[in-house]
Amino acid sequence: MSADDAKEPQETQNDEVNRRAFLSSVTVAIGALISAGLGIPAVAYIVGPALKRAEEQEWISVGSASKVELGTPTLFKANVERKTAWITDEQELSVYLLTEDGRDYVAMSNICTHLGCRVRWIDEQGQFFCPCHSGVFAKDGSVLAGPPPRPLDRYDVRVEEGTIYILGG
Amino acid sequence: MAASIGTWLDERLGWRHIWDALFLRKIPKVNWLYTLGSATLFVAINQIVTGILLTIYYVPTPDQAHDTVQFITTQVPAGWLIRGLHYYGASAMVVLVVLHMVRVIYHGAYKYPREITWFSGVGLLLVVLGFGFTGYLLPWDQKAFWATTVGTRIAEVTPVVGRWVLLVMRGGEELTGVTLARFYGVHVWALPAALLLILSVHIYLVFRIGISSVPGKED
Repeated sequence: MSADDAKEPQETQNDEVNRRAFLSSVTVAIGALISAGLGIPAVAYIVGPALKRAEEQEWISVGSASKVELGTPTLFKANVERKTAWITDEQELSVYLLTEDGRDYVAMSNICTHLGCRVRWIDEQGQFFCPCHSGVFAKDGSVLAGPPPRPLDRYDVRVEEGTIYILGG
Repeated sequence: MAASIGTWLDERLGWRHIWDALFLRKIPKVNWLYTLGSATLFVAINQIVTGILLTIYYVPTPDQAHDTVQFITTQVPAGWLIRGLHYYGASAMVVLVVLHMVRVIYHGAYKYPREITWFSGVGLLLVVLGFGFTGYLLPWDQKAFWATTVGTRIAEVTPVVGRWVLLVMRGGEELTGVTLARFYGVHVWALPAALLLILSVHIYLVFRIGISSVPGKED
């Protein structure tokens, strides 16, 4: 042990790179390399599916145009097959359809633009109400009261041979 | 900057003292065979990190397990790499643990005062084999299913308790989704807990007693 000490007498004072300092920086460098080699793929692995673009939208049949009451938003439900990662399942899509003249249709999502609860049309008041934070929307989906930041979202609508289609995915 | 943060922390945590005790301790003149334990620890850390990542997508149910493994391997960015590291790391664990043990036997390093290090090492060997056995079922493909069918039947041959061991392992008469769920639970909860517990004893003793030197002619 004393022989070893004699060989490196000024190890602590020496500013030049000595054996110990060199080996410890090499160890740190290899450690950093391995961490990055696993760390970068790990980040890609975690965020990857989140960045995947949504599937193509398509026209979804929601029901017969004759069932839409004139001047009253009417709730329609359609089943859509959705594929998320490895899971394919049926989801229910709810949409309020409104027509004033039986020719032009408006399709509104029933999802509150505040925090995503489902809004409901209340006939007596002639307004949409959201049960979660008392958001109120008018017949055309515009905000009347409460926290919602924007009107109800709308879908593109197409009527073909008496059947209503909306563009969604 | 780094040095002043280190000092600030050291005044409160005393980490430098611990660091020196762990990494600047005196060791005898040894050879590369003495790195097998560290190599095992390194691969174990790899298994923990990649294993945690795999649980983000893996689902241990009969209808989804195989699909999620395929999804990880073919769809998730770097999923093939994460799974590959875990897959080959598993084999490396068994190989390294056995080589480490053979070296300890060869050098007689299990003797006084290192018996408890040895006993805990034997425990760790069993834990590693348990990881291998339970992990093999999780991809839920034909190979996994039949390997576990055979593996549990081998356990059944054990005198007296064999039949009971098979039933407990499978969670019933047949190999089903119940088996998959319990193998998963053992693989990601029971065995990691056991590993960390026994490993801390094992490594504490390595630091406390120090490693044995290469036996000389008189030993």
